[in-house]
Amino acid sequence: MRADVVVVGAGPAGLAAAVRLAEGGRKVRLIARGNGFTHWGAGAVDVLGRIGGQRVERPLDDLAGLAADHPYRVVGAEALRDGLDWFLGFAAAAGLEHQGDPARNRGQVTALGTLRPTCLLPTPAAAELRGRVAVVGLAGFRDFSAALCARGLERSGHAVTTATVELPPWSHRRYFSGVELARAFDDQSFRERLAPGLAAAASGADVAVVPAVVGLAHGHEPWADLQRRVGVPLVEAAVAPPCVPGLRLFAAWRRRLDELGVSWQFGFPATGVERAGDRVMAVRCEGAARPVEIRCDEVVLATGGVAGHGIEANRDGSLTEVVAGLPVAGFPDRTGFVSGRFLAAHPMGAAGVRVDAELRPVGDDGAPLLANLRCAGGLLAGHDATVEGSREGVALATAARLVATTRAAGKTDQAVKRG
Amino acid sequence: MTSLDTRVVVVGGGVTGVAVLRDLALRGVDAVLVERSDLGTGTSGRWHGLLHSGGRYAVRDEESARECIEENMVLRRIAPHTIEDLGGLFVLLPSDDPAYAERFVSGCAAAGIPVEELTPAAARRREPLLTDGIEAAYAVPDGGIDSWSLIRSMVADAEAHGARVLPRHPVVGFERDGDRLAAVRVRDQAGGEERLIGCEWVVNAAGAWAGQVGALAGVPIEMIPGKGVMVVMASRYVRGVVNACRKPADGDIVVPQHEVAILGTTSVQVEDPDDVSVDPAEVDRMIDMCAQMVPSLSGGRALRAFAGSRPLYKPPQQADQATAGDTRAVSRTFTVLDHAERDGLANLFSIVGGKLTTCRQMAEKLVDQLGERMGVSVPCRTAEEVLPGADHGSHRLAGPLAAVEQEKEYGTLLCECELVTTERVRETVAGGLVELEDLRRRLRLGFGPCQAAFCAWRAAAVVCEQGGGGDRDLLAGLARFLQERWRGQHATVWGDQARQALLNHAIYRGIFDLEADHQDEASAWASGGLDWSQAVAPRSTREE
Repeated sequence: MRADVVVVGAGPAGLAAAVRLAEGGRKVRLIARGNGFTHWGAGAVDVLGRIGGQRVERPLDDLAGLAADHPYRVVGAEALRDGLDWFLGFAAAAGLEHQGDPARNRGQVTALGTLRPTCLLPTPAAAELRGRVAVVGLAGFRDFSAALCARGLERSGHAVTTATVELPPWSHRRYFSGVELARAFDDQSFRERLAPGLAAAASGADVAVVPAVVGLAHGHEPWADLQRRVGVPLVEAAVAPPCVPGLRLFAAWRRRLDELGVSWQFGFPATGVERAGDRVMAVRCEGAARPVEIRCDEVVLATGGVAGHGIEANRDGSLTEVVAGLPVAGFPDRTGFVSGRFLAAHPMGAAGVRVDAELRPVGDDGAPLLANLRCAGGLLAGHDATVEGSREGVALATAARLVATTRAAGKTDQAVKRG
Repeated sequence: MTSLDTRVVVVGGGVTGVAVLRDLALRGVDAVLVERSDLGTGTSGRWHGLLHSGGRYAVRDEESARECIEENMVLRRIAPHTIEDLGGLFVLLPSDDPAYAERFVSGCAAAGIPVEELTPAAARRREPLLTDGIEAAYAVPDGGIDSWSLIRSMVADAEAHGARVLPRHPVVGFERDGDRLAAVRVRDQAGGEERLIGCEWVVNAAGAWAGQVGALAGVPIEMIPGKGVMVVMASRYVRGVVNACRKPADGDIVVPQHEVAILGTTSVQVEDPDDVSVDPAEVDRMIDMCAQMVPSLSGGRALRAFAGSRPLYKPPQQADQATAGDTRAVSRTFTVLDHAERDGLANLFSIVGGKLTTCRQMAEKLVDQLGERMGVSVPCRTAEEVLPGADHGSHRLAGPLAAVEQEKEYGTLLCECELVTTERVRETVAGGLVELEDLRRRLRLGFGPCQAAFCAWRAAAVVCEQGGGGDRDLLAGLARFLQERWRGQHATVWGDQARQALLNHAIYRGIFDLEADHQDEASAWASGGLDWSQAVAPRSTREE
């Protein structure tokens, strides 16, 4: 098996990198252990929500205040803007329009009634909360409580009413997850039957908050249709994983990979690389029935940090990058991984691989360790995506930077071949 | 200040205090129990859940061993619903002393503990994950017991017989009248006001904290808090209890309990019974030692570690006995102190030492002595009267699943790990709930492998829907619940559990945007004396 580029990891960074490299004409293979933060996130594009616990209003203006090894400082503001602009175009073309200005943060309503700072929101989550807000729960869906969400929104000064509407009869009446409920919303007759109750619950309100489960397979169409029927702007609130808006986006990523002829495999965890000098010649992974080796010119590691399985946190306090054995700064013992307070930042959340401006991993002396392996997304040192609210921004910015550096590397390769 | 009167005030809401309360109630003596926190939050809630056969004491402490096997049999009769009939093995490894095994067998015989020798092959058929290198194995009637369930049942029985229970009422002092304690002064944590409980007798059943209660009454009681660290593994590993057949040491027991296995335990003397800190090195040692018996533990996933304080008592005449920091040398039997003869305080008794398995017998001995002084001649009935709930038969692991399926409640399952339904949370909240955290002890909510990632806020939603929680309280209560789950985890965060921890963080901090100020409220609450969660901090704490 061969590819120009093997991308390892199918979170936001790996998916963006694979699509963008393929759009640039490269033959790309994408392999991944499993799903990434499309499934586990809030369904928004976070760029920079907080610095030192304080909310950030204008993320692009605050990049200079970040540490020198922060991925945004490494790739530069231009790559971030490029990544966000490219994403807005990609999402719109896939029928998943996002709203927002990369220069300005906004609040995303959550199931707890908090307004989490984020930057770009899919249109179903983007309407402003103003005037009278109706929070509407769906009977039997335990991952969204109108009362709990309303309690939080009231605290931020909103005038809130609550209601819970009964669901029309459908196939999963006893036990259902958000994903199953979202599939029910794909059915037009389900929406038709639900709409009157929802409209009654939202009557008199200027906007209605519902859990983010309004449709799965048809992009934003089920939401737009339901909103039309109800006659009140509907806002999808972020709920606990799995993240339905992220699943919609994930489906769009996969469609795009197929369009571009990218071969992708999930359930293929990379286990190592074959090296020759400072170059990686092949990526080894577990295949369906036997180990597989994929020869390639270049590797993009987008395997994530400790949370994403890209880095293993060991019992002795050390940290291991799992595919290529890249150096990651560990701790004297494992108590260093975490803070005593659960909601505080945990040092292992910011652990990662240090890279140069071309995203190549570097050693202690700052020199690149491998010529044709680059890192993207949560695997990078210098940021804690959960605490600072930067996950999608870092993914898209580093993918943008990869495209630029790969172009340069490709030219070099061609020059070598010509020589 | 409000006040009430009773004949006996029992101080301490662990198993011992509750057993004393029940014993008094069954003898028709009016009594009130006061507890500084929720019931079962001290040592009774911080242990490995072993219903002792007595085997662990068979070689060195025959008196404790005999008490254990007697009470083991009594509890199986009166509280089967709190017990999982696991059975236990003592396994002899090649590195262990065969002579110890001989002393073990004869010690069991002397104490009346039924013991059966198994061949190594038979032992491995019974416990397939045992190491294949064992020399011998001995089967004893060890079991598992759910202390919170036992406490609830004993309280229900006591209340049905007229007793009263005041949780979250720490004792702040005693009113003294000559050589008697005339009243107990407590603080109502909910309202903040003090209450005076007039009484004829006081029983100090504060366990490892008995010295502190004694000090408030002006009597010296020297306790030796013996800290024991335990590690919770993410699955059961073993069918029954597995013990090492050797002199008790760190990491010599594996107790399967509900969905997890608990590895125990260290035994270190500490100054303060509230010191429940855990050193990661202790966790490593426990896993490594237990893995000698069950090798797959070494690659296993540890969910959390916690510590409890054994209520060990140092009698004055033993004051010079060197324990060298290892509290295993101190007897595990119990002692009733009559402070009239000991300290000239006419109406105070203390009960110290002992262990959960013997709590009923401890209560019986104490109330016998107390009753003699009070002029109450009603005999003890606690060994005969079965507890409320006993008609459900003994606890089986699959019981909750069967109940959920038979009652077709699966549609409202709120905590998947522990099979807690929304209806049960609603009932519990409606029955009066001070803290979200109390759901953990009532329902086991949040105990499973995800450590409350998906159930804590669902439970908060139920509380909210039933009108509970003040304006800001609710999210702060949620933060407290999460913090309580977290504080046992810092020593076990590696591998899969590191990913789990960061996922939980990504949910609560990342998606739900719970902020540091919610946590600050949680900290302020904890330092108010309701709980000792602030006593624990990792050795190297890095805050933001």
